[in-house]
Amino acid sequence: MNRFRKIYRLALALFGMISSMAAQAGRPVFLIEIRNHLFEPEQVVIPANTRVKLVIYNRDPTPEEFESYEMNREKVIMGQHKTVIFVGPLTAGDYPFFGEFHPATALGKLVVE
Amino acid sequence: MIFPARYVVLTLSALLLVALSRPALCNGSRIDKLYHPYVQPLEHEFEFRSLDEKNASVAPGDRTKARLGYGQAVSDNWFAEAYLIGEKNDDRDFHIQSFEVEGLRQLTEQGEYAADAGLLFDVESKFDGDLTELSSALLLEKEWGRWSGTANLFGIYEFGRDVNDEFETAFNLQGRYRLNRHFEPAIEFYKAQNTFGIGPVFLGSYSLGHARKLRWEAGVVLGLDNDTPDRTIRTLVEFEF
Repeated sequence: MNRFRKIYRLALALFGMISSMAAQAGRPVFLIEIRNHLFEPEQVVIPANTRVKLVIYNRDPTPEEFESYEMNREKVIMGQHKTVIFVGPLTAGDYPFFGEFHPATALGKLVVE
Repeated sequence: MIFPARYVVLTLSALLLVALSRPALCNGSRIDKLYHPYVQPLEHEFEFRSLDEKNASVAPGDRTKARLGYGQAVSDNWFAEAYLIGEKNDDRDFHIQSFEVEGLRQLTEQGEYAADAGLLFDVESKFDGDLTELSSALLLEKEWGRWSGTANLFGIYEFGRDVNDEFETAFNLQGRYRLNRHFEPAIEFYKAQNTFGIGPVFLGSYSLGHARKLRWEAGVVLGLDNDTPDRTIRTLVEFEF
């Protein structure tokens, strides 16, 4: 009987978790492009304490990897493709990011204010 | 935004497997690395990890287990890896004991929902005996500022002539503080039928240029009951390219 009670509680907890996952509201969207191994724009201003969606278009024919330890994000974007990176909520400050495949040129930052 | 139905079905299936698994005897400690629910397209890696167990009261005594693996992303959200596993214990010198193949499926984009989710599927089979282990795990990760929490919920089925066919479950948990990319302190907790342990672990990574990276992990997990090794030293080195 205890076993069924445990499974019932697990199911309830799971339902709560999935409901919470499903309850995602719309987020502000910011566009970034990669051209000639450069991020455009290099600096993007986003609101503090808000979940935002970065849509990144890689216009180059070669892949690039968006990486930011400060944002805890790492994502490969194939050439001529786009990807979505969800970030936040972040506190006010600067959050640098770079292209792992072209770290000398592909540099940018999120300014959170 | 709705959590996609197919992910709900996959998640429910994995949890159901974990929930319906019944307690049984299991062979050895379940202390190992924590899996994160992410896949990087184009990524290849070599991985070496080891477990060194000090067993004062558990047969077969002290044990060292090492595995060498190669893995690569096979699509945008699937990563496959194969390992050769060797073991040395009080009864036998070091020998290649088994092989393992695993597949990791990333289910959600990082930060898209309240928690990030993935699934792990794994087959391990012994060379020197008739024992195969099938397992699947739900991988969850959640971040709170610089803190990240990772949970792995395993359902495991062992079968073969050398073992009583049995299900078991395992629950692994890691709390990690992202201090800096080279050094991150963490604490890990392990609970399974014959495993109950907790201990500090340290992680880090070094960029080697042009998408090449070296990741490392090292820690000590202390047994909290008589079935768990008194202490397990676990290490991992991973070369990503």
